[in-house]
Amino acid sequence: MIRVELVSLLRSRRTWATIALVDALPVIVAVLLAVTDLGPRPGTGPAFLSAVLTDGTLYPLAALAIVLPLFLPIAVAVFAGEAIAGEAQQGTLRYLLLRPVGRTHLLIAKLVGVMAFVVLTVLVVAATAYLLGIGLLGHQSVTASAPGTASVSGTSLSTPELVARTFAALGYAMLCMLGVASVALFASTLVRSPLAAAMGALALLVGSTLLLTLDAADPLKPYLLTRYWLAFVDLFRDPILWHDLVRGVLLQLGYVVVFLGAAWANFATKDISD
Amino acid sequence: MTRGRGTGRRWLLVALVALALTAGPPLARAVPTRPVDIDAGTLLGRVQAAEDRPWSGLVETTGTLALPDADQFSDVAALFGGSTRMRVWWRDADHWRVDQLSTSGEQDLVRTGDRTVRWDYERLQARFGEEPSVRLPRAADLLPTELAARMLRGAGPDDVTRLPARRVADRTAPGLRLVPASPRTTIDHVDVWADADTGLPLRVEVYDASGRFLTSEAVDVDLATPSEARVSFTTPPGAGVERDDVLDIADAANQYAPLIAPQRAGGLEADGSNGAVGVYGTGPEQVVAIPLRDREADALRDQLGVTPGARQGATGTRVTVGPLGVLLTGAEGEGGLLVAGTVTPPTLHAVARDVIAGYQYVGVPQ
Repeated sequence: MIRVELVSLLRSRRTWATIALVDALPVIVAVLLAVTDLGPRPGTGPAFLSAVLTDGTLYPLAALAIVLPLFLPIAVAVFAGEAIAGEAQQGTLRYLLLRPVGRTHLLIAKLVGVMAFVVLTVLVVAATAYLLGIGLLGHQSVTASAPGTASVSGTSLSTPELVARTFAALGYAMLCMLGVASVALFASTLVRSPLAAAMGALALLVGSTLLLTLDAADPLKPYLLTRYWLAFVDLFRDPILWHDLVRGVLLQLGYVVVFLGAAWANFATKDISD
Repeated sequence: MTRGRGTGRRWLLVALVALALTAGPPLARAVPTRPVDIDAGTLLGRVQAAEDRPWSGLVETTGTLALPDADQFSDVAALFGGSTRMRVWWRDADHWRVDQLSTSGEQDLVRTGDRTVRWDYERLQARFGEEPSVRLPRAADLLPTELAARMLRGAGPDDVTRLPARRVADRTAPGLRLVPASPRTTIDHVDVWADADTGLPLRVEVYDASGRFLTSEAVDVDLATPSEARVSFTTPPGAGVERDDVLDIADAANQYAPLIAPQRAGGLEADGSNGAVGVYGTGPEQVVAIPLRDREADALRDQLGVTPGARQGATGTRVTVGPLGVLLTGAEGEGGLLVAGTVTPPTLHAVARDVIAGYQYVGVPQ
């Protein structure tokens, strides 16, 4: 079942079209930066965007900061919202369940499919950004006396350190999207319309983002889905600031456990007529 | 029937897990602290003795004052009117590092003896300078340790009362309330919670008559002495290097204005300043007087003039924001004396009058 989902994902034109759309924004930003050589004013742009004018190898991180707050979660919500509700809308869910696989197994296969999409998208965005970064953006001189890249805290990061921390940041972003996928998958088991399922997950995202700006919502903030998404920047401080990263991982795992559990509770015994 | 029961059990399981996950952290915080049998005077002594104790950690501050956002003072307005996160490594008063964190970078301050380095990641720039004798408030001043030291300076056992202990940074922290006796201050009271064992201030809340306007809390604390390497700075590859002759407008006025401020103003004693800028009072009643050139004074006067509640008087333009009084003397094109502090309007005017009358003119520094 999982293999079928993965093959279907990779063969789908929609998958690659969505990835291309998500990838388009960092590409446009890289071209604009290269042409104008104008970075954002300090404190105003996404993380790392001002640094890429000096060091293009950081552009995968800037690209991640560009797509993570909005583009990527929208794509994930649409994909995960489609998972069960899409089959129900097309009338194929009943036939899928005629096969000798359990509903829990089907749910897991759908989640694996969504996560494969997330991994693929993040890797494509990072790889494209790296090529654009070294091709179009800053070339920092690396000498024997001053090797490496400046960390956010102003120390020097060696290339292996930078690569390891970049992959850790990509992994963290993927985990954040697993939280979104779980919410959308749950919504997908509730309704017949994939659009309604995606909108349900997006409503939670928008609500979370809005509440984060409100001082009166302070008691709720540690539980908001998007609260720690941008904490991947803390991987590039020296020493790494684990405070928000650990909370971010635990929060996303909490969302996964609760919403996947809810999806399982709803879907495992739901009457399927479509 | 069996299916309905199975569904119910599944949902019950999910609800229990959700409840455990959401209620767990608040319940853990609600665990009562261990009893701390210490009187207010002893705790005050312990807090004052811990003023320069080594520590490191993560600090969050929140200010609610909507200060006028004039160019030269925009950092101060942001500091007292918003949230700030800082990482701290503190060996002693002359060897420390405070990193001001944001989602897009860091602005760090490293102090080694009399020298300072300011690192700005987004500008990829290190600025070297010397610690001035007078300057505007900066993020490091809002650390709970620094804020408590400033507020409790000069306080005695009779000025404080005990507050119940609370859990701060996962430590038991007995509390202390300072109610200033002076009628000149606009600070209503200051609450400080300090580590029960070491006296290190972990949380400070500052109130005026209308409520709390400033909170500073250490959310993570390590009481081990940070290494020397942690409080040093080496410029990274590719970064720009600058040297600062002046830090801010207060430092510039103090160094270059051909004046010496009097040692007493508005009934308050000078707090160690000996240049053009006067700093008067101690603890919760402090006021600073900065002479401004017409260019800076005019810009600030315009900004103060459009601030809600601004009052034009014979002395100048006065604004009150929460507990902070700001008075700019003079008129357009004349320069002016900026007087600002946590004191009442009559004290503000008295300080302005005494400083202007008491200025000694000296030769222009070369």
